[in-house]
Amino acid sequence: MALKVSSIPSLPRVNNGLARLLPIATTLLATVIAILPVRLPGYAALTPAFALMAVYHWTIYRPDLLPPLGLFAVGLTQDLLAGAPVGVTALLLLLARAAVLRQRRHFIDRTFAFVWGGFTLLAVTAMAALWALQCLLQFTVFDVRATVFRAVLTIAIFPAASFALGRTQRALIGATP
Amino acid sequence: MLRPLQLRATIQRTAPPLLVVLAAAIIVLGKADETMFASLRTMLGDDFAPALETLSRPLSAAATLIDRIGGVFTMYGDNQRLERENARLLQWQQAALKLSADNRELRRLLKAVPQNAVSYVTARVIADAGGGFARTVMVDAGADQGLARGQAAMTGEGLVGRLTEVGRRAARILLITDLNSRIPVVVAGTHANAVLAGDNSERPRLLYAADPRGIKIGDRIVTSGEGGVFPPDLPVGVVASLDHGGPRVEPYAGLSRLSQLLVADYGLASGLPQPTPVAGRRNRRPAPPVSDEASVR
Repeated sequence: MALKVSSIPSLPRVNNGLARLLPIATTLLATVIAILPVRLPGYAALTPAFALMAVYHWTIYRPDLLPPLGLFAVGLTQDLLAGAPVGVTALLLLLARAAVLRQRRHFIDRTFAFVWGGFTLLAVTAMAALWALQCLLQFTVFDVRATVFRAVLTIAIFPAASFALGRTQRALIGATP
Repeated sequence: MLRPLQLRATIQRTAPPLLVVLAAAIIVLGKADETMFASLRTMLGDDFAPALETLSRPLSAAATLIDRIGGVFTMYGDNQRLERENARLLQWQQAALKLSADNRELRRLLKAVPQNAVSYVTARVIADAGGGFARTVMVDAGADQGLARGQAAMTGEGLVGRLTEVGRRAARILLITDLNSRIPVVVAGTHANAVLAGDNSERPRLLYAADPRGIKIGDRIVTSGEGGVFPPDLPVGVVASLDHGGPRVEPYAGLSRLSQLLVADYGLASGLPQPTPVAGRRNRRPAPPVSDEASVR
């Protein structure tokens, strides 16, 4: 039973090659947006986890088009480009995908508030895990406040990202199943 | 024999856990040998540099626009301030001209060896680390423009950081606020050496000062030139607080608003005869500095 829930459901097939690439492409775009320099004081430390939003959205609505291998590559790209310890984002995104896929059936056809609540849980867990992992890797205790603010900002921006992703999805792939 | 459908199902089931294990293994490997992914990093940086440059342009334009709109409201005050500052600077200009002439004359008398000229490369910031666990930026210039590992990155105000990875057309700069940044500094006008150590906060700490109690708020901090990585007397910042963890330094350069940087080549590694202890110390650094490439140039 557990296996059945966490395995990829059969969704209407998408034949347009470009549209099939959309989930991975937007996740990659999200990682690039996250490293663009924004000249706001303190922003660099509080950059929202845009890739996490993309992973959450696509795992709920089109998990068939977000292959783990692609996600792994996107995660590695972000780590290499951002100068972060390599593999951390890849691990985080893969675990996020697995966690969301397991609970996916609860989020289909639910109100946006419910979906947002789910993302809140995911973002808080992911940020806490990221903080712990980074502390462990760099033998130091990072300021928790930065991580808390980052989580809050990530959760606050999610509706906008979800709206943009939903619109693109409807335009290129079709309605949410 | 597995049929294609079964095979597909098997891959779908086993791939995610395998990739998770692989990612974890990469983290451990990367931690064990931090240079392992360096070439991959610079390669990817080169590949993504044009895209990052294009995407960062509108952001930079927006920031400039906001600055300009803000400037309209403060124009009168700014003008008054600048006029006062200009009057003061004109006096300084006279003093500087006189000192410069004195200096030249004294150098001539002492037959001092002229310092080698500094060449600058201007580079634009196209990416930052994003996420608080590292303080680095990427710039849109690399070895093709004459950049090399170990060079100092500055703004007009002061030191920003050190070039740690240099690709062909992009380079990464470790900011002085990064957890891994250690810069030999000195309190200006004294011989009080210390190490400026970043801890990912906005204000790096002064460590290993011989006499920490002698350091006061408002003291100017400049590079000491120890270790031969940076030349001496580059402005770094000013002591801003004295908490129990030691004095903290407010960098002169606005590190959260970086857009254009100057990368200075002081020719320190270009085969100049260096005192032996300095050269010996440099050889102990994990990766060789610029000397080889620079001496070829």
